[in-house]
Amino acid sequence: MGLFQPEHQNALRAIYGDAQSTYAGVLESLAVFLEEKVVPRSAALDAGGPGIGEVRRMLFDQGLCRMPFEAPGGMSLPFGIYSLAMELAGSADAATAMSMGVHCAVAEGINRFGGESLKESFFEDLISGRKLAAFALTEPSSGSDARSMSTRAVRTGSGYVINGSKMFITNAGEADVYFVFAKTEKGHAAFLVDRSTPGLSTGEDLAKLGMRGSRTAEVRFEDCAIPAERLVGEDGKGFEYAKVMLNGSRIIMGSICVGIARAAYGKALAYGLQRNLFGQRLADLPLTREKIANMRTEITSGRMLCLYASRLREMGLDYASEAAQAKVFSTEMAARVCDHVIQVFAGYGYTDSDIHRHWRDARLLTIGEGTSEVLRLLIAGREVAGSR
Amino acid sequence: MNIVVCVKHAVDESELKADSAGKPQLQGALSKMSNFDRNAVEEAVKLKESRTGTVTVVSLGSGDWKKSIKEALAMGCDRAIAVNSGSALDALSTSYYLSRAVRRSGPVDLVVFSEGSSDTYQGLVAPMTAEWLKLPFLGYVRKLEVGDGRIRCELALEEGERVAEASLPAAISVVSEINSPRYPTLLQVMQASKKPMEEVSLDSLRDEEAPRGGVSVAEVQVVSVSRKRILFEGTPEESSRMLVDALKKEGLV
Repeated sequence: MGLFQPEHQNALRAIYGDAQSTYAGVLESLAVFLEEKVVPRSAALDAGGPGIGEVRRMLFDQGLCRMPFEAPGGMSLPFGIYSLAMELAGSADAATAMSMGVHCAVAEGINRFGGESLKESFFEDLISGRKLAAFALTEPSSGSDARSMSTRAVRTGSGYVINGSKMFITNAGEADVYFVFAKTEKGHAAFLVDRSTPGLSTGEDLAKLGMRGSRTAEVRFEDCAIPAERLVGEDGKGFEYAKVMLNGSRIIMGSICVGIARAAYGKALAYGLQRNLFGQRLADLPLTREKIANMRTEITSGRMLCLYASRLREMGLDYASEAAQAKVFSTEMAARVCDHVIQVFAGYGYTDSDIHRHWRDARLLTIGEGTSEVLRLLIAGREVAGSR
Repeated sequence: MNIVVCVKHAVDESELKADSAGKPQLQGALSKMSNFDRNAVEEAVKLKESRTGTVTVVSLGSGDWKKSIKEALAMGCDRAIAVNSGSALDALSTSYYLSRAVRRSGPVDLVVFSEGSSDTYQGLVAPMTAEWLKLPFLGYVRKLEVGDGRIRCELALEEGERVAEASLPAAISVVSEINSPRYPTLLQVMQASKKPMEEVSLDSLRDEEAPRGGVSVAEVQVVSVSRKRILFEGTPEESSRMLVDALKKEGLV
């Protein structure tokens, strides 16, 4: 089954009206590329194969990371189109999509908050994929409570010296640059640190339940001296930057999960149509039909929440709560859908990694980029504040 | 060198669904550029890139057939002629209108087709179009060289490999082993919609040579092949002996 389905075309029609045909052409072309070049490598990546660099390279060459940025360099496409592209990428290989999603969030941080010198030095390298980036916010003892981070950056005559540790960092070990958040005298600040900086080291790759194609590790800073030009934006505003970068990234992680769910659901539906038991197709049994209806409805709902949050962003409106809603719903939905899919396949679902890996992949994203719990705090906090 | 490449917006056979009686649901079926035509476009664009010239993509179809034309433009074709057929035509009429569209494109050195379409795979339109254009035709080309007003091709024929030459202008059909089609970047896909595309009707192409009548498809059915599903159990020696005995019994060896 192709990755770009009539349901995607209809979503484009519903949201983008007359402009949809150009967008559909771009997404269809990406879908064909993903089907022919990425999907066949996905099982090997899940098995721990080393090929993610090559897969990422091909997607960078296609222009995936250029989509949401303005020309020159970018393709000036609406964020919702980028979000649908990441859904398709998530269907093809979730680990690659996540790795690139994190990277593109850093590119956005540099583009939005970096000074002219940082932008000139890094932005084109990032969106072309010549340099790979990692986003280093979470620490061993502060994940959801990011503000209480213990990594420190101390001002020196020519720059800063960073000490501390960041945990569960996607792309760690292979990234060329790290977008690092640290406490300073003025509050929090963000820095772009080269891999080769003396004092920066990465730990062993962490063994993970899912998303096994991507690398995740600890990043340590020991008297890591960096020049002042590597400060992103203003000292003291780092946490504000993190929140803005995470808003967009949460939509993308939600979209990747919609893609994961769509891929798993497609397999379950095809299986249900060809597997016979009790003299009829599995898909014709009432309890299977209930699952099909629920999965279908939830996938559409997740996609629409991601596109709704994207549209608010495109229109320059506040979308922090909607981005959180999109991520909470889509990531939890994907875990639910993939669980149903394992149930449809029964013993084969539990033993075949091509089925259960979707659940393993989805499971991460109810945790990364803001757990479901902390995002519910954000959503409810705004509701309660608004009702006063 | 002016090249025309002809592509078909074909039913996407990988997405074709059958009803409960096993009949393919052609109404509303998804379509895309015929897989083999991607090789034809690639070869045309490669030829253009190795010398000066233009590639014009010509496609006859209806509905959303311009999607395939845009894909060819994204791959590197320079301009397009979109022939709106309104409905499906048979091979004779298709080839006739394609030949008129090729003429409309201006002076041409080479017309490139694929070996057949990935949905019906009749392989008729390429040689028929060449005949309408009174051009020499070399079919099933797997390798080609162009120079000194001639084209030299290695042909992958059922009876084996052959080498053939023709003077230009000529028409060829290529097999899929001739190249690996490129994937246009997403930016090239976006830019394709800005390239010139002329839409023409059948009426505007028709002249006194237009074929009358033709073949109409009454119904498409699935041919089901039943298997005997005989399983041989035992050691490899035993089961291989049983297999040979069964093949002898069927009169196959």
